[in-house]
Amino acid sequence: MKILARINTAIARFEGWLLILFLSLMVLLTFIQVFLRSLFIYAHMGWANDLMGNLDWAEPFVRLLVLWVTFLGASLVTGENKHIKIDLLTQIIPASWRPPLDVLLSLAGALVAALMFKASLFYVGTEMTFGGKLFLGVPNWIGQLILPAGFLLIAFRFLVRGLFSALGMLGRATP
Amino acid sequence: MIVAIIILLTFFSLAGLPIFAGIMGAAMLGLHASGVDFSAIAIEIFRLANAPVLLAIPLFTFAGYLLSEGQTSTRLVRFSRSLFGWLPGGLGVVALVSSAFFTAITGATGITIIALGGLLLPALVSEKYREPFSLGLVTSSGSLGLLFPPSLPIILYGFVSGVSIEKLFLAGLLPGILIVGSLCLFSVFMGKRWKLETPPFSFSEFLLALKEAAWEIPIPFLILVGIYSGFCTATEAAALTVVYVLILKTLVFRELALLSDVPRIMLSSMKMVGGIMIVLGAALGFTNFLVDAFVPMKLFEFLKGMIESRIAFLVVLNLFLLLVGCMMDIFSAILVVVPLMIPLAEKFHVDPVHLGVIFLANLGIGYNTPPVGLNLFIASSRFERPIVDLYRATVPFLLVLLLTLALITYWPSLSLILPRWIH
Repeated sequence: MKILARINTAIARFEGWLLILFLSLMVLLTFIQVFLRSLFIYAHMGWANDLMGNLDWAEPFVRLLVLWVTFLGASLVTGENKHIKIDLLTQIIPASWRPPLDVLLSLAGALVAALMFKASLFYVGTEMTFGGKLFLGVPNWIGQLILPAGFLLIAFRFLVRGLFSALGMLGRATP
Repeated sequence: MIVAIIILLTFFSLAGLPIFAGIMGAAMLGLHASGVDFSAIAIEIFRLANAPVLLAIPLFTFAGYLLSEGQTSTRLVRFSRSLFGWLPGGLGVVALVSSAFFTAITGATGITIIALGGLLLPALVSEKYREPFSLGLVTSSGSLGLLFPPSLPIILYGFVSGVSIEKLFLAGLLPGILIVGSLCLFSVFMGKRWKLETPPFSFSEFLLALKEAAWEIPIPFLILVGIYSGFCTATEAAALTVVYVLILKTLVFRELALLSDVPRIMLSSMKMVGGIMIVLGAALGFTNFLVDAFVPMKLFEFLKGMIESRIAFLVVLNLFLLLVGCMMDIFSAILVVVPLMIPLAEKFHVDPVHLGVIFLANLGIGYNTPPVGLNLFIASSRFERPIVDLYRATVPFLLVLLLTLALITYWPSLSLILPRWIH
């Protein structure tokens, strides 16, 4: 169990670094575009316009990053059990029902994520055969890889949580 | 079999299954029943990468998280105190105005009560405001700035409904001012009745407070000017806001360290974004199924027999949204309900821009309604009071809010005059 917890933390740390990198890129690339355009429009600097022409990949790239950030963030939130939810019953039911319910909910979440993993893998597969290009000659399916990867991570996090709550129920120490 | 799964899914969702998983499960069931492959949901989720406007969400959230750390809240409260403190009930006005402003610049992500409440509640109580009144005021001020740019719910509504964000930002201004203004009047009224003492207006304190807050007060105005002068799009304004706030926090005020605080805030803000946007992805998949199955049309046929006029539709919409607001947070509510309501509203001749303002005002009230209003829970844990105390404390404020909601709903020009005037 210790190993599983350690793997989980290591992946989470890597996802965290990716999130920080992606957000920085979003801010930087969008800012540079406004800056260059302003230089061209208000200061009539021709080179700014030329440079912008070379940056035409930045906009679709940043849009793709939004999708990647979504899945990385969602997977981390799954691990911390902080997803948006309707918490109606938990206010009413007795405290002793919480752990078994938690196991059940984690399994249900894992099942949904696993089905979505399979579906998005199929989707990426079709795009690999028929799909077009994103930008700079990068094929579509590379950008779509985050869908199966993200759902796999989410399913994994749900399972880990379910497992640990089950262990807690049996009175075993959870890592 | 399918019925059994539907019941199970509903039960799980009410018991705390993450909303995104519940919606995806529902979409899968629907697709399964109509014999379509689940990859249809994946195709819809990939649309998240094709909408330029969505980039504004991570950027504004990050800027909001940056502003919520450090002393921004203290500077805002000091400034509005120097401006409104002398009025009867003035401190209440201060609390309402600074909360609304703070909610707006932090993108309405539910941190206002945590950031400002600890400052405002003790101040109110020490100036002899009755405790239930103070509690109710601070709690309901947690969702006041929803209608002011750059609130995230506005951006989400714009994306889901296809209405331009620029129009929505303008449409929300007057109704937003109406809501904050009515609550301010309520506070002034109570202040007069209780004959509370207020400090006189001091011009020198005003100048000092202004000098301190001069960097942060202009942020929403700069965003509006940037967008409406055509200098930048809403998304680009978000990136400019991030850069501006980063410079402010790390260089001007030196409240945050670039290499330790900023990455930590980046991470926590992106988790929040992931939590919202995965619901958006799921809702896109679910909506796609609903539209393919002609659900909005069937819903219209069903309602047509019972609801005949536009007014009747709006009344039902108000009640329905109050109910939804009690159960769901504003983000999921917008994502799930808006796609169903847009075609209906069109049939009943409700302007989609006006509909957006109704949605936000309506769902914002839901934050304060028992049993599960989010503000009530946040305030209960922040101030360590039993939740039942908060139910009672917020009732008078709820009544004022409902009154403004009626005005906003049945007086469309209030929302539509500014966007029409600009275009």
